[in-house]
Amino acid sequence: MRPQIEFSYGGDASVKRPELNKEISDQEWDDFVYNRKSLRGKHLELWQHISGCRQWIKVERDTATHEIFKTFKADEEVA
Amino acid sequence: MSQDFRLDSVGLINRDKKLSFKFNGKKYFGYEGDTLASALLANGVHLVGRSFKYHRPRGFFGAGVDEPYAIVQLYRNNETEPNIKATEQELFDGLEAKSVNCWPSVNFDIGAINNFLKIFLPAGFYYKTFMWPKSFWYRIYEPFIRKAAGLGVASTKHDKERYEHKYEYCDLLIAGSGPSGLSSAYAAAKNGAKVILAEDKPRFGGSLLTDDVNIGNQSGKDWAEGIIAELKTMPNVVVKNRSQIFGYYDHNMLVMSEKVSDHLPKTKKYHPNKRLWYIRAKEVLISSGSIERPIVFGNNDTPGVMLSSAAKEYLKVYGVLVGKNPLIFTNNDSGYETAIEFQKHGVQPTVLDSRKNPESEIIDEAKSLGINIKNSYVVVAAQGYKKVKSADVASISDDKKQLGKIENIKCDCICVSGFWTPSIHLASQSGNKTKFKEEIDAFVPGISKQQETTLGAANGVFSLEETLQTSFSKGSELSKKITGNDNEVSIPNVVEKKFSKHDKFWCVPLPAGKNYKRFLDFQNDVAVSDIEIALKEGYRSIEHVKRYTTLGMATDQGKTSNLNGLQLVSEIENKIVPAVGHTTFRPPYTPISIGAIVGREVGKHSKPTRKSPMHAWHEKNNAVFVDAGVWLRPRYYKRGNENLFEGSKREAKNVRTNVGVCDVTTLGKIDIKGPDAAELLNRVYTNAWLKLPVGKARYGVMLREDGIVMDDGTTTRISENHYHMTTTTAQAANVLSHLEYYLQLVWPELNVNVVSTTEQWAGAAIAGPKSRNVLQKLFPNLDVSNEGLPFMGYLEGDLFGVKARIFRISFSGELAYEVNVESDNGNFMWEKIMEVGEDFKIQPYGTEALSTLRIEMGHVAGSELDGRTIPYDNSLEGLVSKKKDFIGKRSLQRSAFTAEDRQKIVGVVPLDKKTSIPEGSHLVKDDKAPLPNPKLGHISASCWSVEYDNPFSLAILKDGKNMIGEKLFAMSPLKNKVIPVEIVSSHYVDPKGERVRS
Amino acid sequence: MQKYSIFNLVKNAFSNHQNWDLAWKDPEPKEEYDVVIIGGGGHGLATAYYLAKEHNITKVAIIEKGWIGGGNVGRNTTIIRSNYMHDENGLFSEFGMDLWRKMSQDLNYNVMFSPRGIINLAHSDAQMNAYARRGNSMRLNGIDAVLLNREEVKEIIPMADFSENVRFPIFGGLMQPSAGTARHDAVAWGYARQADDMGVDIIQNCEVIGFDVSAGKINGIRTSRGNIKAKKVGLCVAGSTNILAEKLNMTLPIETHLLQACVSEPVKPVLDSVVTFGAGHFYISQSDKGEMVMGGDLDGYNSYAQRGNLPTLQHVLTEGIAMMPFLSKLKMLRTWGGIMDMSMDGSPIIDKTHIDGLYLNCGWCYGGFKATPASGWTFAHTIAQDRVHELNAGYSLNRFNTGHLIDEKGLGTKTWIS
Repeated sequence: MRPQIEFSYGGDASVKRPELNKEISDQEWDDFVYNRKSLRGKHLELWQHISGCRQWIKVERDTATHEIFKTFKADEEVA
Repeated sequence: MSQDFRLDSVGLINRDKKLSFKFNGKKYFGYEGDTLASALLANGVHLVGRSFKYHRPRGFFGAGVDEPYAIVQLYRNNETEPNIKATEQELFDGLEAKSVNCWPSVNFDIGAINNFLKIFLPAGFYYKTFMWPKSFWYRIYEPFIRKAAGLGVASTKHDKERYEHKYEYCDLLIAGSGPSGLSSAYAAAKNGAKVILAEDKPRFGGSLLTDDVNIGNQSGKDWAEGIIAELKTMPNVVVKNRSQIFGYYDHNMLVMSEKVSDHLPKTKKYHPNKRLWYIRAKEVLISSGSIERPIVFGNNDTPGVMLSSAAKEYLKVYGVLVGKNPLIFTNNDSGYETAIEFQKHGVQPTVLDSRKNPESEIIDEAKSLGINIKNSYVVVAAQGYKKVKSADVASISDDKKQLGKIENIKCDCICVSGFWTPSIHLASQSGNKTKFKEEIDAFVPGISKQQETTLGAANGVFSLEETLQTSFSKGSELSKKITGNDNEVSIPNVVEKKFSKHDKFWCVPLPAGKNYKRFLDFQNDVAVSDIEIALKEGYRSIEHVKRYTTLGMATDQGKTSNLNGLQLVSEIENKIVPAVGHTTFRPPYTPISIGAIVGREVGKHSKPTRKSPMHAWHEKNNAVFVDAGVWLRPRYYKRGNENLFEGSKREAKNVRTNVGVCDVTTLGKIDIKGPDAAELLNRVYTNAWLKLPVGKARYGVMLREDGIVMDDGTTTRISENHYHMTTTTAQAANVLSHLEYYLQLVWPELNVNVVSTTEQWAGAAIAGPKSRNVLQKLFPNLDVSNEGLPFMGYLEGDLFGVKARIFRISFSGELAYEVNVESDNGNFMWEKIMEVGEDFKIQPYGTEALSTLRIEMGHVAGSELDGRTIPYDNSLEGLVSKKKDFIGKRSLQRSAFTAEDRQKIVGVVPLDKKTSIPEGSHLVKDDKAPLPNPKLGHISASCWSVEYDNPFSLAILKDGKNMIGEKLFAMSPLKNKVIPVEIVSSHYVDPKGERVRS
Repeated sequence: MQKYSIFNLVKNAFSNHQNWDLAWKDPEPKEEYDVVIIGGGGHGLATAYYLAKEHNITKVAIIEKGWIGGGNVGRNTTIIRSNYMHDENGLFSEFGMDLWRKMSQDLNYNVMFSPRGIINLAHSDAQMNAYARRGNSMRLNGIDAVLLNREEVKEIIPMADFSENVRFPIFGGLMQPSAGTARHDAVAWGYARQADDMGVDIIQNCEVIGFDVSAGKINGIRTSRGNIKAKKVGLCVAGSTNILAEKLNMTLPIETHLLQACVSEPVKPVLDSVVTFGAGHFYISQSDKGEMVMGGDLDGYNSYAQRGNLPTLQHVLTEGIAMMPFLSKLKMLRTWGGIMDMSMDGSPIIDKTHIDGLYLNCGWCYGGFKATPASGWTFAHTIAQDRVHELNAGYSLNRFNTGHLIDEKGLGTKTWIS
């Protein structure tokens, strides 16, 4: 278990960057850059172990209770 | 001096060590082991302060952390600290303390006039008044209210004490060393678990120090001492006294404040004043006990009214009688314990019990001792102003609504017991939803939210036997789960008195025709009538009641008042207590030193300081430093009496005419390796990178996804799959994270690694027409000619035996090179540069000259790349590839970004060619236009052009590309300046960029 | 309704304060309203008040899930200012300053507005320049601002760290003398009392479960206390915006974050102004009760928990001591957390939506409290007239699409970086 201060937050992990060179609508782009669901309850999000191994990880966490359910590697697909 | 209220040979104080102290200027004596409160009480001092609003006299109500009003200003070791609870402050020799919130003295306090005005000052009176006339609020009322604010006086001196932090992991963290804490700690320790046992008081044992019980055929106190002694010898156990666990945070992290030195006249050398423990525990056992709650009656704030348990503690722990003619007012059996202790020590108490016919072992004992007991009797009001002199008492009907005839009983203290309130703060802080337990009229923890278990009185269990049984077995069970050990510990037998049921009675009705203040919250002067008003006016949610009346918002956080407040609301609103609900418990449980929370990161160490390997040289050569983030950089190298302007001008001019050297170590450096490195750069930067040859550098701009410029810098292809990226000093960390984000999460298919090498390389920029001469001397064996090392070229070389990287890049706009060597050799490189450069009149230059040089060249830096500009705004559109995609490109299509009159960087010259334009000025068309005056742009950077010897500025200007040649005004109302200016090209010097290529 | 006056105060004193009127009633929801405002916080209450007062629309209900004033209006650090660089923010906030100055009289409720000034400390020349840019912008917008040098700052706050043992020395600061603080709860209660008096129904303990939208038009809301028809619905639920937006199938440029604040024990007056630290993120003022009110960074992750963790507060207080070392000797009394709508450029949204009759007021980040009157005023205008007022024209939802962003800090979309 590592202290929270070693990590830095990276936001909603369910947001997927549109592929390069792909024609997309304004709406799709805005959904990627700006729009966030940010709901209460389970939230899949990114954290970087910035004062450590510098790995980005995905964390499933409850935004109401701060409980952490599960962590995933950066390249792991989350069902 | 005799202590009239101290008993001989009773208590746990050390009578061999007499301590002298001063209170309100008067000298007293106490003993080692006293608190300030017990020592004052031993001397018969009851008047310690004045209340917040009405300035009513206040004494001691409790004996510990729950104390609502015995708050003093403490003087220790030439320092002073406000708002110290006299009941918690241990006595030391030479202690000095004063009353707070009274003037001129606690005996005669002018503010007490509020007590007579109190009918005008009910709950919420502020909101209803002080509004007429309007201007009086600002000029008279508000300043007056503010002056009246506050309890103690803050010292504005810098704190010289030291505070430490400690980080611990343990299997079981146990809060409280009473019967429950000791039992579970002992059981867990025997199973080999790593245990931390914390006690907020100086003495371990909790209620066992004062309760007349027997455990394992010895007194409770002796049993506790035995257990503590054994725990202390065990290597897997840490026991800490004077240590308050004040917060239960996420993921079973708890924080404890240990008072290391507060009980000493001064902190020992190398010792901290306090130590903050961050403790991550596998299991937490909350054994924080309970706090006696008062019964509310008239004038119940008079000094001499106190909790019955406190009176007992003063007697049994400190040998102090809080009165010689005590009146005990109780609704349960606990009051009898106190009465019996008084009786045993030669003081005859009277007990008023609100119950009709209570029967129990302890009542029988009291009766057999001949204690005077009146059943169905209550205290209606305390009488006496600065000290209780008597009590108005009366019988009370069974339904507790009707009072009998009022009688007056002489007494010198009133010890009150309204039963017990479990200390559930830690459980509640953990997220546990508490539940109301009817049998005890109080909240207890509900279902565990984190890994916490609440035991004993904190869980509403007041039987010692049951407490020991559950605590021993919980300690065993949890430790077994963790360590796998299963060592049997036998639970000692217990002898305790059985208690009868308490009376559900907490507030004495007002007698007809009387209007006594009946206080709920003593420190904030919140009375029953205030709650009534709040409810009458519709402030009905318990949060509204609390906020409107300030109930429970004083420094004691309502430890003795909240539950009674809830009872009152529940009664008036005709709702059950749990439906009223209580306000949230939040850390800290008790006020915690801010110094302790912060620890060692103070003064110069509040943030790290980063220095380049050449720092010592800069210092030796009169560098004046400037903070650049956490780095220190030379701003200029002062010669003689030069000021910043003169020095930086000299340095910049020398670069333009001869050669200068600048420490650029602070620039961020990132090593990028892998077969897909070029592809990564091509996606990160706005320009094309796939065709950069080995041995070449390129300038690049990177955007955020929202199209705003994130950073700029050069990246050099060191070898086939190896690139060296530089970033600005400010953005170094962000750029690295940015690259890692895309590599790990967005494009994991790219085979690239990135690592920060900022600390690995020391960098020196050598700039000026004679820089090539210097370089040639540094690397005599290298061809550094314009052909051998052209603009944006890269070479590796040997600098007098030291491996070096040479980049031909320029920020100053002059012919320039940047030499990097490994950090250890930085100073060597620097000295060599200075040495060989001497012939060419080399001078070091700082950030100020660097700014001048880049500004007059129109090169952008942080003040233009301010997180709000796109490439176009900075005239960097030439670097934006139309062909390929890159991070943030899609955003550049936004209509505001492509607008015809979009802002753009320009140069600004004052018409008089003399007046420097302050940075942060705005450009307007009409300097006399009415406000708000439309702003066309702002001055982002200003310098004194050394090339033309006149002021020159850069500005980000609306429709900048069409504004060249326009005349505007640069306005700085803050500096009272209006400067007529002309808009020119941002490339003021060498617009074709010939010098860098020369 | 009884007016609060000296006369009434004295009269009530002699009747033991038994005869005060209800500050607001507790009505059952009616079947239908002209306007339903969701959210009984400062902004919602102010909106209802201005709908009634300025637009004569009184068939209005405020629907509050808990108790009014329980959200961010009751858990902020009460700072009121208009020291913004961008015109949209500056002009909007300065309009609000005027409303603040007369609020107590306007509401007949003393909100204890205290214009004690705010100082933003600067710790480098570069920062002084950035502040000059902002201060000059304020002045050109008609907002008061003064640039202070080190000595001038020292005169006002001598207890700040002017010693040698300082990591980031104070170079000077930007001051807005007319900025200040107010009693936050009183603002909510004052608006509620007057709105109620003009006929607005304040409905507490009523949770919105859904919306009735058909053919692109709002018809009403579904609540825990039944369905309520409404011609127009205004969303004023900063901190819960994302939750309600989901019920409307909207995804907004907002993340929900946790911001902690704390107060020290009350001490005698020592600090007269609101002060912010320039080498970090920390702000402080002393309340009329004597408590030092302090705040700083977000905890930095999406959260709906009104509870934070100590490392964030430690970080905030570290900056506090770096700025004013004497704070070290004080004790932290209370901490709490508030839930923020962090918009993607740091500025709010007050706008119409693609649904007819549905209006949006959200994205206040840290700055909601000071905006209470101006937000209520402009939102009421937007709802009543079905068009934005020029004061909130910049706070449009589609600015994220057009690029007309209002980014005071230049930090972009990473809302958790403060």
